[in-house]
Amino acid sequence: MSGYSIGELMVVLIARELRDGDLAVTGASSLVPVAACMLAQSMHAPNLTMISPAGVVNARPPRLYHSASDGRWCFNAEAINTGYDLFEMSENGLLDVMFYGGVQIDRRGNINLTGVGYDEHGRPKFRGPGLANTSFAVVSGRIILFSATHTKRTFVEKLDFLSAAGHLDGPGARRANGIETEGPVCCVTPKVVFEFDEEKNLQVRSLHPGVSQDDVMANTGFELACDGPWPSTIEPTEEELTVLRTQVDVSGELAP
Amino acid sequence: MSTQVPMSRSTVRTSKLVDLTEAMDVVCDGQLLVLGGLWFHNNPSALAREIVRRRIQNLRIIAAPPSGYAVDLLIGGGCVAEATIGHVSFEHMGLAPNFQRAAQTGAVKIIDADEATILGGFMATLEHLQDHPVTSVRGTDIMSSPIARRNSDGVVAPRAVVPDVCLLHAQEADIYGNVRNFGNSFADPLFAKAARHVIVSVDRIVENSEVRKEPHRTTIPGYLVDRIVCAPGGAHPGSSQGLYPHDETAIKAYIKAGQDPRSWEADYLEPLVHAPGTHEDYLAAIGGWEHLVALNEVVK
Repeated sequence: MSGYSIGELMVVLIARELRDGDLAVTGASSLVPVAACMLAQSMHAPNLTMISPAGVVNARPPRLYHSASDGRWCFNAEAINTGYDLFEMSENGLLDVMFYGGVQIDRRGNINLTGVGYDEHGRPKFRGPGLANTSFAVVSGRIILFSATHTKRTFVEKLDFLSAAGHLDGPGARRANGIETEGPVCCVTPKVVFEFDEEKNLQVRSLHPGVSQDDVMANTGFELACDGPWPSTIEPTEEELTVLRTQVDVSGELAP
Repeated sequence: MSTQVPMSRSTVRTSKLVDLTEAMDVVCDGQLLVLGGLWFHNNPSALAREIVRRRIQNLRIIAAPPSGYAVDLLIGGGCVAEATIGHVSFEHMGLAPNFQRAAQTGAVKIIDADEATILGGFMATLEHLQDHPVTSVRGTDIMSSPIARRNSDGVVAPRAVVPDVCLLHAQEADIYGNVRNFGNSFADPLFAKAARHVIVSVDRIVENSEVRKEPHRTTIPGYLVDRIVCAPGGAHPGSSQGLYPHDETAIKAYIKAGQDPRSWEADYLEPLVHAPGTHEDYLAAIGGWEHLVALNEVVK
């Protein structure tokens, strides 16, 4: 199968990580994970529940909208939660999956969306948008990371600000901080799928078609194990692409 | 410079409908304002532009955990001394330029927060507590933010937030202040309950008899609202969910103008905030109500 966009590939790869019955929450600028949830619902996970950052439950609009909080996601949804419900979920939630992207993601899967390059007065050289839903990193069963870019600026050894908890300092650190959930399980980028090794370091699970190992090494800011050739990412199937294009992304927002 | 008008916080059922300029007479230098909406949707944009026009200064602002236009405009207008922020952006269209510059230069004191620490402060007020524990920021650098003060048990517990004025935009209301949201009311009802004085702009006024036909659709009851302002298009360039989507062309032009203090002044503040002296002039300048409705067909 060929002729798909990086966005479509990432949607398919994330959809495969989702399970039937999952309660999943999406964040800002999340067209890819939203489409992945909807693709999973249309394929192997019909009873996945998706909650948008605006609190819209199981949106099923006639097309995808670029803003995660566009009012048109409300059309044909099952419920519309309020800010109070999000507070309750933040502290008391029984969520299965949360998705995060980052201005920086470190090798432990920690997230920075706040700022980079702080001076002695606490002023950042680059101020990010900030993160509204820090707490979902604590209350969600597992975290799926994604990034639209794969560069040394994004994938760093150490964050400048820790906005949301991945595996913190390594194995056992979440538990030591009173966090009971599993944390990040994988990270999907335009070049690879990362997963975590036993020491809770991001390692390449699979390399996307047309991407070289050297390219990934050169664009990742931390060390990657490289004992031999990395496995290749299993490409989207005909069925996955057809369902994505005819039932989820009807207007082709992610299309090549 | 405005002078402070005594705030009512009246629960008395009476007509709350006033002109935008009259409603905004309560806002003055140094107040704590809370801004509703979410991202650039349902923002009290017309109300925020009036604050900039009046050159009100030294405001402390706190906004919906994900915020956008109104926060960035007030910062860019030089009205803000301190901002308690979860997230500010124009999502897929870009970062909030004035917020970003103010954070980087230190012109505005930014207090890093998140959804739970912001809403926790409002929950405390609603429950008549001094603070509200929030256990979900464990392990993060939010723990070092001033918002994450600890209670006597050593648990993060943001202080009760009591804003002087709450600014919201919704789709419609009756003259008694019974407000209806067509899309997400999000944190707006919480904000209305916590603030001393609540001003809501709406795109249209409906008859009380319409409200009574479907009372479950009222998202904020009139006893919580002090002033209703009829401002069609009052959320532009953001959306008013259910009536018109956000105006991507206008937002992209906003972000572009905001990249530099000079272009911000010349290409946005002057032509689109100060020159249209009223909201009616602003609406005419951006192409009127017809332009907003037509956005439904073009905004993806």
